[in-house]
Amino acid sequence: MAALKETDLRMFIDSVRRYFDVTCRMPPEITAAFLGTDPLPTHDFNGIVSFSGRFSGQVIVSLPAMALRELLLMQRETDLSDVNLLDAVGEIANTLAGNARQALGNALEISVPSTLRGRAGRPARVRAHPYVITFRWNTYPGLVCVDLEQVA
Amino acid sequence: MKLLVVDDSNMVRSRIARIVQRGALGSVTIVGMARNGEEALRVARQTPPDVVTMDLTMPEMDGLACIPELLAIHPGANILVISALTDKSTAIRALRLGARGFLPKPFGDEALQLALLDLMDRRI
Repeated sequence: MAALKETDLRMFIDSVRRYFDVTCRMPPEITAAFLGTDPLPTHDFNGIVSFSGRFSGQVIVSLPAMALRELLLMQRETDLSDVNLLDAVGEIANTLAGNARQALGNALEISVPSTLRGRAGRPARVRAHPYVITFRWNTYPGLVCVDLEQVA
Repeated sequence: MKLLVVDDSNMVRSRIARIVQRGALGSVTIVGMARNGEEALRVARQTPPDVVTMDLTMPEMDGLACIPELLAIHPGANILVISALTDKSTAIRALRLGARGFLPKPFGDEALQLALLDLMDRRI
């Protein structure tokens, strides 16, 4: 398996910024990007998209409930139920994963998002040390884990 | 204008509905909100839409499978693909299947309104 390049990781950082900037005109502050260790320091609401094709792994987006409520309110959404918060975090994961095809090509096949509620640390699937991007958006912390390898 | 919104995310469906119901698009009737291609076809059979916003990555039937089937039911439908799959080959494939426009996710309110206005101009 081939590791991702620094430019690939930068692409995910740019995608995180772009998601919040375009959706609600409030870009996040990227606070760190590092090689993580299990268990990942996730928050309560997690969206996961799996990769297949010439790539293997997953991208995880993790946010606390308050961040997702705020995101929905900024879009004038009135349904702030947990179901809708999970839907929102899944859609963010879907967007970041899908946008990666611009750089990695259509050999990157992506699943529909799955979602998970709870802070239980989620293990990486393909990398011992997945890329972790932490950020702060509208005072709330957030995390994106890029656990991705190119299959030789 | 009769609009059908197709996306597996409730957040996106609701947002699109709110954006089109205010602003510069004139009279818009949302004829259905579908979570996948199969639901979209069911709605289109009952009430043919003028315009369809179509996600691509969806469970059961994805957008690329749905576009030709929807156009077979209602050839006059104008389909705007709204997708996070922003690689050029996917956009070209969607357009070759009959979509009239492609708006990448994430999208802003204004970008969606402009894309729909463009589609409606071409319809006229």
